[in-house]
Amino acid sequence: MEYFKSSLKSVLGAPPPESQPSGADTVERLVDRLQSSSLLDDRRDACRALKALSRTYRVEVGAQGMDALRQVLEMDRTDCEIIGLALDTLCNITNPETFDEEVNKHGLKNKIGEQFTEIFIKQLDSVGQILAFLEEFDFRVRWSALKLLTHLLANRPRDIQEIILVSPMGVSKLMDLLSDSREVIRNDALLLLIQLTKGNANIQKIVAFENAFDRIFEVIRQEGGAEGGIVVEDCLLLMLNLLRGNASNQNFFKEGSFIQRLTPMFQLPPETDDSPLSGWSPQKVSNVHCMVKVIRALVAPSGPAQATAACQRAMRACGLLQALCDILMASGVPADVLTETISAVAEVIRGNASNQEFLAGVMAPSTPPRPAIVVLLMSMVNEKQPFLLRCSVLYCFQCFLYKNELGQSQLVQTLLPQGNEAPSLTTGQLLCGGLFSSDSLSNWFSAVALSYALIDNVTQKEQLLRVLLATNIGKPPVTLMQQCVMLLQQGNKTQCKLGLLILLCRWTAQCPTAVKAFLGIDSSVAYLTALLSSQENNDDLQETLLQSMCALLIGLCVYFNDDTVPNYTKEKLCHLIENRIGLERFQDAIGGITRHEVYSRTLKHPQPSAKNPADLLLDHEFCRLLKNLEGIIVKSVLDGSSSHRNNDPISTLTPSESALVAQYKELIREQDVQIQSLNQVNVTLSKEKCDLEAQIHELQATVNHLKDQNLVLRAAQTNFSDEKQMMSTENHIDTTVREDLDKYKVIVKDLQQRLDDSIMKLKEYEHERSNQSKSMLESALKEKMDELEKLQKDQEDLLELLTDQESKIVSYKQKLIALGEKVESDESSGELDTDDQPESSN
Amino acid sequence: MSYAYLFKYIIIGDTGVGKSCLLLQFTDKRFQPVHDLTIGVEFGARMITIDGKQIKLQIWDTAGQEAFRSITRSYYRGAAGALLVYDITRRETFNHLTTWLEDARQHSNSNMVIMLIGNKSDLDSRREVRREEGEAFAREHGLVFMETSAKTAANVEEAFINTAKEIYEKIQEGVFDINNEANGIKIGPQHSPTSPGGLAGNGGQGGAQGGGCC
Repeated sequence: MEYFKSSLKSVLGAPPPESQPSGADTVERLVDRLQSSSLLDDRRDACRALKALSRTYRVEVGAQGMDALRQVLEMDRTDCEIIGLALDTLCNITNPETFDEEVNKHGLKNKIGEQFTEIFIKQLDSVGQILAFLEEFDFRVRWSALKLLTHLLANRPRDIQEIILVSPMGVSKLMDLLSDSREVIRNDALLLLIQLTKGNANIQKIVAFENAFDRIFEVIRQEGGAEGGIVVEDCLLLMLNLLRGNASNQNFFKEGSFIQRLTPMFQLPPETDDSPLSGWSPQKVSNVHCMVKVIRALVAPSGPAQATAACQRAMRACGLLQALCDILMASGVPADVLTETISAVAEVIRGNASNQEFLAGVMAPSTPPRPAIVVLLMSMVNEKQPFLLRCSVLYCFQCFLYKNELGQSQLVQTLLPQGNEAPSLTTGQLLCGGLFSSDSLSNWFSAVALSYALIDNVTQKEQLLRVLLATNIGKPPVTLMQQCVMLLQQGNKTQCKLGLLILLCRWTAQCPTAVKAFLGIDSSVAYLTALLSSQENNDDLQETLLQSMCALLIGLCVYFNDDTVPNYTKEKLCHLIENRIGLERFQDAIGGITRHEVYSRTLKHPQPSAKNPADLLLDHEFCRLLKNLEGIIVKSVLDGSSSHRNNDPISTLTPSESALVAQYKELIREQDVQIQSLNQVNVTLSKEKCDLEAQIHELQATVNHLKDQNLVLRAAQTNFSDEKQMMSTENHIDTTVREDLDKYKVIVKDLQQRLDDSIMKLKEYEHERSNQSKSMLESALKEKMDELEKLQKDQEDLLELLTDQESKIVSYKQKLIALGEKVESDESSGELDTDDQPESSN
Repeated sequence: MSYAYLFKYIIIGDTGVGKSCLLLQFTDKRFQPVHDLTIGVEFGARMITIDGKQIKLQIWDTAGQEAFRSITRSYYRGAAGALLVYDITRRETFNHLTTWLEDARQHSNSNMVIMLIGNKSDLDSRREVRREEGEAFAREHGLVFMETSAKTAANVEEAFINTAKEIYEKIQEGVFDINNEANGIKIGPQHSPTSPGGLAGNGGQGGAQGGGCC
């Protein structure tokens, strides 16, 4: 605070007279009132006044009022008017632009807005608070909050992106603004989203998730499509931000069938004859540029191949490729739109056979009708066409022939002698014309375009060798390769020579027949060696490239040499390089190209990147060829010359040395035997090694298994952490327990044995005992039976006696009765009698 | 490729439980044993058929790492279905389910269908979470449950399709407001009630719904 006051004083000079309060004082008073007034009206007035001062006295209002304003946002949340005013004031304070009013005080390019932004977002939830105000429908609040966010984002893009990314529903709230019926809010939201999505894949994905593409297409439709105003362009810029380099969103775009919705935007209204350019307003040109960029973002060569192929298929299926081709063939299309469209067509067909075939079938509406490709190539070899347009045609042609064997063979076919006259202009004729024209750029374009017909295609390399060119009447025809070598040796511009060398390098690579043809041409090798040996390596880019390509071409002649040209066998060429150029010099020259920035730039993207005609020197596919072959070529040249050196002395030996050689030969033979035995040992050892390795594998598997078990155990251990203590003590006494256990086991075993014995004994005993007792019992039983029998006999005797006695008693009773003796009842007498009688009988 | 409905899904759960592999198995029918860590969110899509209707599934596969949690939260709103995945061979991924569920319930719309998935069922020898535990958790919190293997593709189709069935049923019952895109459901172009051409189709749909009511 003190700092700002003092700086203000220094700006304003002497302290102001009391009658006229300074701006700073006024601000201080207003801030005080804003903080301390209890009446809402008073606070509103103070806020309004602060807002009015915030442009002229931005530093003062910002320095003194920031906290008070934040307090308002917190306390007076429900009053839309004061919130709107506070937000507007903050907007002014953080404005990234410099106000006219403050230029005198703080200079034209001050960073006041940025500094205040930094201060504002230091308080963590500030941005969250502003995001919350977006949900308020009141125009003053919503729009001001949106503007404030835009300012904050402009000043501290990375910070704000991160904050919004992690604030709950932050992106959603912003996306909802796209549906606001008030256009100004919708449009400003669009601008904010463009900034917000820049370079942040995570935000891009969330925005896409929130139905961004649907909403964007809806706005584009409302605004009139490609013919619409700048809002359409904004929509397309946002779409481009969401898609460029974001594979996930590209996939979403394709899966959501949004490619299909691009097609109608490219369908041009039927042109009017009177003023063909009237259909292309500057805004429409911008819109179409953006639309084309959207397409190119989806099929960029750098993207994942599978996704790119899927997009390419969709683009043809939904008529988008057709619509693009229609633009190519339409008249009155501005050159820059045409250039971009050609590049887009190039990427839509690149490496996709059916799309390439589609382009091959497109006919231009000319008289007579010509294939679109022919018309395009006509522009490429036409000096009067804009440079960038010609570059884009080359790119298109490159993409047309990329992985397209059929297209490659068709092109070469047009150059071969035909049975019947072909009256129409062909691609081959155009390229040959370009190759021999006086325009060095046309030479370069044609040579490079022709080289595309030879990529990965040995058949066409051989076919192209058959091409003959008619020269002046009376002279025999020359081959195309002869003509190229001749052009190379003539004093043409370097650009033309580079183009020819690119063609020759491509031609000779992987093709011994072409190498043979090249070596068979008079002075071809002499030219290359002369160029490499005579000129010192200097800093001139074009010279470096030229030497590099010459070295590569010689190297290719070595590597792909089948020794069928007696003067230039592999060996002789190596010898030549070593003696005439020098191996180091050769290596230096061949690698010279890679040290230049233009090489790495060209290698990065297949599209020609030169801005000016004179800068167009290297081609993407050539750079890839060089990158792939440089290593093996240098190696083969080095190997060739070293074997050469070894062989050389043998032919010039004296007889005495021959004896020595013989001696050495003997030695060598001995060593050979040694080597063989060693080899054998080696075989057995390696076999052993294999076995051991297998063992190791097994062991490793076991170890892994054990590790897994260990893991599981550890997991279990953590789960039972409570028992851990106990477990460990148990572990501790484990050994003693085990010993005891063993002892007990022995004892138990012993006891068991004894128990078994005892049981056996017991059984025996029982058996014996039962047998003994049985016999005793039987004898006892017999005795008892005898006794019983005796007793029964006695009883019978007694019973007999008893009946005798009874009958006697009856007779006595009758005698007594007869004698007149009174006898008691039968029974009692009987009883008495029986009682008496045994006594008596006894 | 037209569709009757479009459903938005999210896949959530701890890092390394196999979310991306489940998606890859469902969309591409292949398994990638070594998968890069998902950064933020990745997108995948596939068409399925339910009740004779073409349904497009848009699936957002989120990063499981804690560092991305605040980013992935942005995807809860606007999803009609969620696959909540844990790894049956790692107990802690099961233990974290409660946190995930709280997060999902807090940030999503209340009708979101959540399917609980115990992944890596092929690694039964290393299993740490019993199937019954998963079932119990699902029952307790009102989720649908399944054990899957992104490696062998066991139950992967079913997991995604059953979730869609569940959503479809909710639509038939009128639980989802299909005109509010924040619910994660979109009606296909030819079914849109706003387009006059779709009126006939709509009537048929209404009839089908009526039949369901009876």
